[in-house]
Amino acid sequence: MDIDKDTESGPAITIRSSERDHVNFVLKNVDLAVANSVRRTMMAEVPTLAIDLVEIDVNTSVLADEFIAHRLGLIPLVSDSIDELSYSRDCTCDQYCNKCSVKLELAAKCDTDSTMNIYASDLAKFQNGSTLGDPVIRDAQGKGSLICKLRKHQELRITCIAKKGIAKEHAKWSPCSAVGFEYDPWNKLKHTDYWYEESVEDEWPKSENCEWEEAPDPEAPFDYNARANNFYVDIETIGSLSPNDVFVKSLETLQLKLAGISVELNKDTVESSNAESGGLTTYGRNGGETPEINYGGSYGGSSWS
Amino acid sequence: MSTAKFRTLEREQRFQNPPKDKSAYPMLYEAIEPHIGSFNALTEGAHGGLLNLAVKDIGAKTIFDSTSTDRLGNKLMIKVDSVEIGKPSIPTNDKLSLNSNTLPYECRERMISYRSKLRLKVTWSVNDGEEMSEIRDCGLLPVMLRSSRCHLQNLSPDELVKHKEESDEFGGYFIVNGIEKLIRMLIVQRRNHPMALIRPSFASRGNSYTKYGIQIRCVRPDQTSQTNVLHYLSDGNVTFRFSWKKNEYLVPVQMILKALMETSDREIFDGIIGTDLSNSFLTDRLELLLRTYNKSYNLYSNQETLAYLGDKFRVVFDGTPDMSDIEVGKLVLKRIVLVHLDSNQDKFRMLLFMIRKLYSLVAGDCCPDNPDATQHQEVLLGGFLYGMIVKEKIEEYLNNFKLQVSSDLNRGLKVNFHERKYISRVFQRINENIGQKLQYFLSTGNLVSQSGLDLQQVSGYTVVAEKINFHRFISHFRMVHRGSFFAELKTTTVRKLLPESWGFLCPVHTPDGSPCGLLNHLAHKCKITTKQSDVSGVPGALSQLGISSVNSFAAGPGVCCVQLDGKILGWTSHEKAKIVADTLRYWKIEGSHNIPLDLEVGYVPPSNKGQYPGLYLFGGHARMVRPVKYLPLGKTDIVGPFEQVYMNIAVTPEEITNNIHSHVEFSPTNILSILANLTPFSDFNQSPRNMYQCQMGKQTMGTPGVGLVHRSDNKLYRLQSGQTPIVKANLYDDYGMDNFPNGTNAVVAVISYTGYDMDDAMIINKSADERGFGYGTVYKVEKVDLGMSRRRGDPITQHIGFGDDDWPEIWQNKLDADGLPQIGVKVEEGDPIIAYFDDTLGKTKVKTYHSSEPAYIEEVKLLADDTNSECQQLSIKYRITRQPLIGDKFSSRHGQKGVCSRKWPQTDMPFSETGIQPDVIINPHAFPSRMTIGMFVESLAGKAGALHGMAHDATPWKFSESDTPADYFGDQLLAAGYNYHGNEPMYSGVTGEELRADIYIGVVYYQRLRHMVNDKFQVRSTGPVNSLTMQPVKGRKRSGGIRVGEMERDALIGHGTAFLLQDRLLNCSDYTHTSLCKDCGSLLTTQASVPRIGSMSSIRCRSCSKKLESFSNEFINESDIWEDGQGKKFVGGENTTTVAIPFVLKYLDSELAAMGIKLKYNVQPR
Repeated sequence: MDIDKDTESGPAITIRSSERDHVNFVLKNVDLAVANSVRRTMMAEVPTLAIDLVEIDVNTSVLADEFIAHRLGLIPLVSDSIDELSYSRDCTCDQYCNKCSVKLELAAKCDTDSTMNIYASDLAKFQNGSTLGDPVIRDAQGKGSLICKLRKHQELRITCIAKKGIAKEHAKWSPCSAVGFEYDPWNKLKHTDYWYEESVEDEWPKSENCEWEEAPDPEAPFDYNARANNFYVDIETIGSLSPNDVFVKSLETLQLKLAGISVELNKDTVESSNAESGGLTTYGRNGGETPEINYGGSYGGSSWS
Repeated sequence: MSTAKFRTLEREQRFQNPPKDKSAYPMLYEAIEPHIGSFNALTEGAHGGLLNLAVKDIGAKTIFDSTSTDRLGNKLMIKVDSVEIGKPSIPTNDKLSLNSNTLPYECRERMISYRSKLRLKVTWSVNDGEEMSEIRDCGLLPVMLRSSRCHLQNLSPDELVKHKEESDEFGGYFIVNGIEKLIRMLIVQRRNHPMALIRPSFASRGNSYTKYGIQIRCVRPDQTSQTNVLHYLSDGNVTFRFSWKKNEYLVPVQMILKALMETSDREIFDGIIGTDLSNSFLTDRLELLLRTYNKSYNLYSNQETLAYLGDKFRVVFDGTPDMSDIEVGKLVLKRIVLVHLDSNQDKFRMLLFMIRKLYSLVAGDCCPDNPDATQHQEVLLGGFLYGMIVKEKIEEYLNNFKLQVSSDLNRGLKVNFHERKYISRVFQRINENIGQKLQYFLSTGNLVSQSGLDLQQVSGYTVVAEKINFHRFISHFRMVHRGSFFAELKTTTVRKLLPESWGFLCPVHTPDGSPCGLLNHLAHKCKITTKQSDVSGVPGALSQLGISSVNSFAAGPGVCCVQLDGKILGWTSHEKAKIVADTLRYWKIEGSHNIPLDLEVGYVPPSNKGQYPGLYLFGGHARMVRPVKYLPLGKTDIVGPFEQVYMNIAVTPEEITNNIHSHVEFSPTNILSILANLTPFSDFNQSPRNMYQCQMGKQTMGTPGVGLVHRSDNKLYRLQSGQTPIVKANLYDDYGMDNFPNGTNAVVAVISYTGYDMDDAMIINKSADERGFGYGTVYKVEKVDLGMSRRRGDPITQHIGFGDDDWPEIWQNKLDADGLPQIGVKVEEGDPIIAYFDDTLGKTKVKTYHSSEPAYIEEVKLLADDTNSECQQLSIKYRITRQPLIGDKFSSRHGQKGVCSRKWPQTDMPFSETGIQPDVIINPHAFPSRMTIGMFVESLAGKAGALHGMAHDATPWKFSESDTPADYFGDQLLAAGYNYHGNEPMYSGVTGEELRADIYIGVVYYQRLRHMVNDKFQVRSTGPVNSLTMQPVKGRKRSGGIRVGEMERDALIGHGTAFLLQDRLLNCSDYTHTSLCKDCGSLLTTQASVPRIGSMSSIRCRSCSKKLESFSNEFINESDIWEDGQGKKFVGGENTTTVAIPFVLKYLDSELAAMGIKLKYNVQPR
């Protein structure tokens, strides 16, 4: 990930189209592993806000409590300033507080003869001084997603606690609805094998991304050294974060994780230096011996910094 | 190619405003019409319904009040004049309720029966004098929903919803103790048509009996039946057999003939032989028949014969003393012989026809009829069976009356027929509750009957109409059973699918396993007649067509006999008969000449040793019929299974051939049942897979109904995320299946990806699961009855609610102030669900929740009883959440079932270039051997439909070799920018690398089956043991163990895992330490001594020790003496030890000891 070193051959991004909840770009000059890691991180490890605890005071609707709670959880909430919030498990508070959660309230009662629809826009947020935790609303009427329907005399009184989380834990925290991902549209690398009945051309539609790469020369010998280089990525979000945020935050998350690995691997060096300066060590328990293998000695220090 | 529509808005509109005029799904109502039609026929129709016909048939019972034998005394004639069934209502002593109607939903919720008053108008006359009558209440009779006796009859969906029913509640079942029960349809022999049979069992009836016979099942106008059989004897004689009150009787057929009419041998001879005088086989036998009879019985005139019959059958038929023998004889003929016919003349002719058919069968001129073919079958409908039982119970009622009077006479009580008070007293002393007997019948399915009702089984008539999902529910009403008699039969011929059943019984929809082929389902267009067609115009039309009269001189297969519902109308030649049959068909379809459309024109042409020829017309009840298109007129014809065999019906319009086909099917799918029709592209599947789908569709966790709040079923399964399938047959909408969705559209990739999809396992996308894929709920209802232990008449001592005493505060976490559980609260095992105050103890007590699975309280209903006493019963509905778990079962609609083996993280799932990830992964190995190509096609169609936003029609046989679905949907996929064959290049979610092969991915409708691990898992380390053997008990409910059986043992031996084997068979089972005497080697004689001061208790052998008394003059060391529990003192027997044995060994030893066998064990080291 020598991103800054060489702009010519280093990673590059060409944005092909960009909308509010959607971006399409080409990621160039990265390894397949990197590109896929970004994809996986975007889908599962970018923190967002979603309703996690539901306190039900009154529910006389036809839907069961847990069913409504599940529906509420899936409502996308604006998470742009999610960094302001800490994870509930890391917070110093007992259960949840303003620093680790956003409180929303839903109170609705139907008094008319016709059916009353309860939408995400009916969720009232406790003021927290920002847009964080507002339900995402994208329809023209400004209603948002439908939560449930009430008949005359039915009532809902619910308090929701939205918390920060990642999609690894539950799909409701995923900022993306889908991440499109493609490389090698001409199948020059022969990673796959197109099955056909009569002719490949008739039965396999050409990818749109074919235009972005040169058509293969049928005469050319197979280049077994070639690597996938251009990745055509298409991010579609659910509105909680902008596609830009999703991408940037995914890189951040990825970097943090890598840094974490690096720290773990270099623990010995770090700790020995700490020991010298009188800081905390952990290895002392093993009888004061420094482990024989030293990764940091020859090259580690410079390359990981 | 026809298209399908989603109809989302239509459906939503219909749910919000149910139609006020008529249902949108008339086909649903047609499907259950046989049930309701047959029940309505009991009280409606000609002569006041079948029940009123039945009481006419029962007639009057005659009773005399004399005890002496020389005079008869006063004569009382008592009969039931008419029967009336009311509508369900509240008991008359309830004066508080504003609405006196009892509605079905109330019965379901209160777990009572939906029944109404049965009233009999009983009339009697004394000494043939003035008739007196009284209306008697005969208990509460369960009535069928939406029948004419039900409050829901003819209600529109809108009104039904107001009555707290489903908007398309179609009825057809009963509610007994809150459970929905229906009478299963049963296949029986076709009525009023003599059937030629060859049965080896016939020969065992007696000496010289042969295997040949003619059997006819005659049905009276009230739908009760009587079977008559003619047996051929090896000497040429013919015997008439019938059974009456479960006893069989044999009568020479000539006796019946002569009793029926004043006749001569000549007449009989001519009536049987006709012009076939040269047939010496016939003439010889007939001569013998007539001669032997005359020789042995010497009865010549009609009166003589009747008197003889009457004399012999007087006791059996309960002939009263005032009847002459001749009258009794006539009664026998009326009750037994060809009861479908009124006049003796007709019976006589029919009997002659049967004799001739029998001779033809014996001579081999005609073949036996196949009783397993639909051609010779009809359906015994629930309503008719119900009526038959009611009739029998009414007759029993009259007989009981008679018995009561005679018991009064015997006991010397005053019997006065003239006094009304006496009659009323007799009524009061007999069991009048007929309704209860019918309720017993419905709730158990057992037939308690003196006569057997001419049926072959005594149990299994009713089934529970389970509402697991709508597929299962509707199937119950289309189910026909062959009879439980055949289930035990070793031969499988009855189970065969015969071509005769084409269009009547579904070839696909039958369960596999023991009921296979016996439990069939009607094809969805097959109807069953519940009324007698108006056939009054038929005789006129026939004579117009030149049928010679019945009195003409004709007989035998050389001429064509014309019969209408088992009555001979005339004779004609075979050439003419064909024209007559064709003309009749033309006329009936045309609607002219007053011939009903559903008349069955069964023309059996002459053949070489085939079916006995003739023209048989049927217009009666209980026939299976179905519509087909009549080509000459282009109109609908209604055909039955008898005629269909001889008709040429083209399956598709393309295959119509001139001068061959007279009819064409409206649609080839008409041969399939409702469920078989719903399998998408079933014509591409291997046939057993379609059968499996019919089974699995019925086990799906779907939507049982929408009015669940008004139901109290023991267990209900509900899928919370049901969808309409993208790919569906158009019939799906016609039957309103979308009101009760049964599954979810899932993106399915066919790929071997993780190794967790081996052997029919499937992988579910974890994120899809978290978003609610296949999420379901189980509702369980528990009825709590505080008055359970209270006896009748005792005061109520337990009151719902908290008392004033001190009770644990913690109860309030789950219970409200009224002592009932809070709605929505979570309960776990041991939590209180209701608090009540017990007067006798003066304490507040609770009942607790007994299930290891946590549940939420969904509803609490207080149930009142019919009296106005304090509420003692309540029902609690629990909601148990069932999200898909590893081990839960799913299936597509093509018999491809699988168990969820993993919930795979979304990031690791393979994905397509557009970023689509499958919800479900299945293994490609599921396909080659099962050949469910239909599933591939569905996947393709589902994908095309999802991409273009449209539904696709999946009706079978819509495509052909030249127009394949692969092309049709392939083009659509191509238009959407996808691969023609439904494949897509996919990427590994783990590495991001493109997979070596492209993957078949599409949208398939997935069903979640109701078999879930949570109901099945069984774990135990230690637990309850059987007290006799000390081995673990069995059964999941009792937290028992799973048996390591013989074969499992063999496997462990085969692996050489001796330690494991010992662990399973001994250590984890009944491993015990027990004491053993080393001297005598006995297990059973050891016992512990009583500890004494200074010495511990020790184990002693009782049989090796001597009693202290026997040492009268020797000195015994005090420390050598030991004492048993009874204070007896012994010396010796100390050489014992402890061994480890399986406990059963001790039991075995005891059992053997009881037989006087001693087991001796050698222990080493000694």
